[in-house]
Amino acid sequence: MRNDVRERREAAGLSQGDLAAALEVSRQTVNAIERDRYDPSVELAFKLARFFDCHIEELFDPDLDWEPPRE
Amino acid sequence: MSVTVKRALHTVPARFTPSISEHTTSATTRPSSRKRYERIAYGPLGAGVLALWIGIALDRFVLGVALYWAGGLGLGLVQRFSPVELYDERDTTIERKASQNTMNGFAYVSVLGTPGGLALQGSGVVTLPGEFYGATWTLFGGFVAFGASVLYYKRRT
Repeated sequence: MRNDVRERREAAGLSQGDLAAALEVSRQTVNAIERDRYDPSVELAFKLARFFDCHIEELFDPDLDWEPPRE
Repeated sequence: MSVTVKRALHTVPARFTPSISEHTTSATTRPSSRKRYERIAYGPLGAGVLALWIGIALDRFVLGVALYWAGGLGLGLVQRFSPVELYDERDTTIERKASQNTMNGFAYVSVLGTPGGLALQGSGVVTLPGEFYGATWTLFGGFVAFGASVLYYKRRT
């Protein structure tokens, strides 16, 4: 899933290790998220959003080709 | 959510311009600590495996197995009492995908190989060794254990 975690992290002047430590995950996990190779769980996505003080939708772009059915 | 993350989150101002120090967490959650504890955890297991091989080579099999078990116990104890999480959700995802692939491979072997082997023996082409039946029953046992585990988690999820 596309995201701008890397941009936000770098704007904050943090290393992947710093962010990983704050989120209590491995640096490899942060790296995988930034490279769109791993989609985080809902809980971790919320942690990231709260860490960067934004909404999940601002952080992640699921690129969904789907709309809820209308009556 | 852990205290550490909550603390980190509360230090982040709106539309952050935080410094590193604001995000600095306790030493026990630093990646270096995780790596250190991983080494501590897998060290005893590695030593146990080495001891097992040395024990086999020196014909001290019981001692080797005892040291191997001790190494495994050491790994479990470090994992249980480590102040840092040695595995995160990505590790769990990786293991789940690897398990799925493994089970798929076993399924192909079991579905295709077992009847195929029996058919070849029935037609007199080959005589199956005892290992074939041992492997078949082992695979069957693995599938039964997997199915039981699936049922267990279906009831809990």
